[in-house]
Amino acid sequence: MKNSVNAIEVKNLHIKYRGLKKMSIKQSIAKFKFNRVEVFEALKGISFNVEKGKIVGIIGKNGSGKSTLLRAVAGIFAPDEGKIDLKGNSVSLMSIGAGFQNKLTGFENIILSGLLLGFSEEEIRKRIPEIIEFSELGDFIYKPVRTYSSGMYSKLAFSITAILETDIMLIDEVLSVGDIHFKEKSGKKMQEIIKDENKTVLIVSHSMSTIKDLCDEVIWINDGLLMERGDTKTVTKHYEEYMKGLDKK
Amino acid sequence: MKRFFTNITKYYKYAVYQAKAELKSEIVNSYLNWMWWFLDPICYMLIYTFIVEIVFRTTEPYFPVFVFLGLTAWDLFNRIVMGSVKTVKNNVGIINKVYVPKYVFLFSKSLVFLFKYIISFIITIALMIIFQVPVTLQVLNFPLILICLYTVAFGCGTILLHFGVFVEDLSNITNILFRLLFYFSGIFYNISTRIPKPFATIMLIGNPIAFCINQFRKIFIYGSAPNYIGLLLWFLVGCGLTAIGVKLIHKYESSYAKVV
Repeated sequence: MKNSVNAIEVKNLHIKYRGLKKMSIKQSIAKFKFNRVEVFEALKGISFNVEKGKIVGIIGKNGSGKSTLLRAVAGIFAPDEGKIDLKGNSVSLMSIGAGFQNKLTGFENIILSGLLLGFSEEEIRKRIPEIIEFSELGDFIYKPVRTYSSGMYSKLAFSITAILETDIMLIDEVLSVGDIHFKEKSGKKMQEIIKDENKTVLIVSHSMSTIKDLCDEVIWINDGLLMERGDTKTVTKHYEEYMKGLDKK
Repeated sequence: MKRFFTNITKYYKYAVYQAKAELKSEIVNSYLNWMWWFLDPICYMLIYTFIVEIVFRTTEPYFPVFVFLGLTAWDLFNRIVMGSVKTVKNNVGIINKVYVPKYVFLFSKSLVFLFKYIISFIITIALMIIFQVPVTLQVLNFPLILICLYTVAFGCGTILLHFGVFVEDLSNITNILFRLLFYFSGIFYNISTRIPKPFATIMLIGNPIAFCINQFRKIFIYGSAPNYIGLLLWFLVGCGLTAIGVKLIHKYESSYAKVV
């Protein structure tokens, strides 16, 4: 019996997009006169804990705040209210359109991504053959990223995050990357990570089969609020019923 | 401020690797590209020499060296500060994926420009040999002036980096301001002889670029000592600007990703 330690604690999380639209200088002068600020609240107070080693799926319809939640946990957004405590775990976010620099080669991008994730250069260099092999890019790894096809791009992104494992992994809709062969491989890799009891994973996906296959628990978010949290079967069932209800309307 | 230094040491390796990779990609992508690091300032030097010596018929001793010292210093400042306005926009991909203190990008870019400056400095030495400029021990003051100029540029850069995120047409304004600043910095003319007395002194002390360029010329061409007090003061101003910029960035950087 392992004692349950929380890896992620989220308390009363609010994220607001405060009319922070880009503006021109003329507009910003006008803004001083009419101080009208639009506030869009993407997350309206969400609290949950995730135990270490758990795989948690996050579901909800489009625009319900799932990606915002992941970004907040990754530290890209600071919470407007509430708290996120990662207990000192390292975290990485895997999402579509990974941050590569087009001018640089895949190889250099691997090292740069690794350095940003907090790995030392030696560590990255040790893992690099594995990453290159897993990504199946071959000699393309020494070519600038802008020459890559979109599939190659996502494969590289997946490989980096999958091989350079952090304690907490946040996965945003990227499990369906590449061709059937690569999908199977990445699925297997995910299973491996999931078996590792030290890794905590949050998965955002619209594919119910992925969620059902991989997750221990599911969190359902609707319009920035937590609808339900519980074991995978019950929550996905309720969610599917709810979505069918929307169709009828 | 403490956070700034821990962040810089933490991300130092990233910044350096990024700068190296960028310089390397410039060489790889075009065989003539690294030649531009030399050709660009040399061509401008030739243009200004032509205009000033032949069209306006003024004579300044060792004019090519004179212009070159001004141009390269200006380029360093201009590139660091102008680049900063779009720093966040150019790195959206990374910013949306992982937390990075945003001035790390500026720091990395500034290393690239500093490297290019050092290269152009080699040409300065070559020019000095060609035109037989007498060299004195004062040239050893070179790093001091460079540090002063770099700090002021970095400080301005951090502040513009912050405002560049929110104000979309900021680069238009900075373009105009920089054009103005270019002509007020005495890059192809000598401020102290061409401009009437009280204004010349004000320009030479109040404009950090004109000030630094003048110090470069003092040590390399005239063989006189730089204005140490002025250097120290401008260095402190640069540190102050950096402190303000870094503070702004720390306070608002978590909302950058929401805007871009």
